Amino acid sequence: MPVTPESLVRHELVGLAVSVTAADNADLVGIEGSVVAETTQTLGVERDDSDRVVHVPKDGTTFTFTLPAGEDVAVEGRRLNGRPARRTENTGDSKWR
Amino acid sequence: MDTATIARERIERLRELAREATVAGRPDRSRRYVRRARRIAERNRLSLPVEFTRFTCDRCDVYLRPGDNARVRLQDGHVVVTCDCGQQARYPYE
Repeated sequence: MPVTPESLVRHELVGLAVSVTAADNADLVGIEGSVVAETTQTLGVERDDSDRVVHVPKDGTTFTFTLPAGEDVAVEGRRLNGRPARRTENTGDSKWR
Repeated sequence: MDTATIARERIERLRELAREATVAGRPDRSRRYVRRARRIAERNRLSLPVEFTRFTCDRCDVYLRPGDNARVRLQDGHVVVTCDCGQQARYPYE
């Protein structure tokens, strides 16, 4: 079963189409492309209109992912913060903060 | 959905992405995806699928495509896969 809106924050983000809908840094808003890299605190987005990879901080950014099924899912970037391989183990129900 | 299922799906997804990266001539991107998949398998104590172990290089971690960045030769009782980096992997056949 591929990515669903419920499992998105624990699933692989690389390969998904993404757009930045809101960000603390206004210059990042409007970035569209596909995710090609992920670090603990950033996502690397390859823009549709050029070959360049932009690294967008996860914290303080709202992403809209387009799933392979065609669904659009908006996610608070803070929920994605975490080591890429470890994110799968965070069940996301922590009440901390 | 439980963690192991998601981990298995992620590994499979990363395998496809690594393959596509090799096709697109981005070996470094392919290496990143392969390493990420290995790390996920390690953390979740899952064994990697056979296609994964057969088509990735143990030394440079790149995803292998025979004829593109890997040579496949048959020898007495075993297959030898040689990566562009020089690493050889062998497995038996009937």
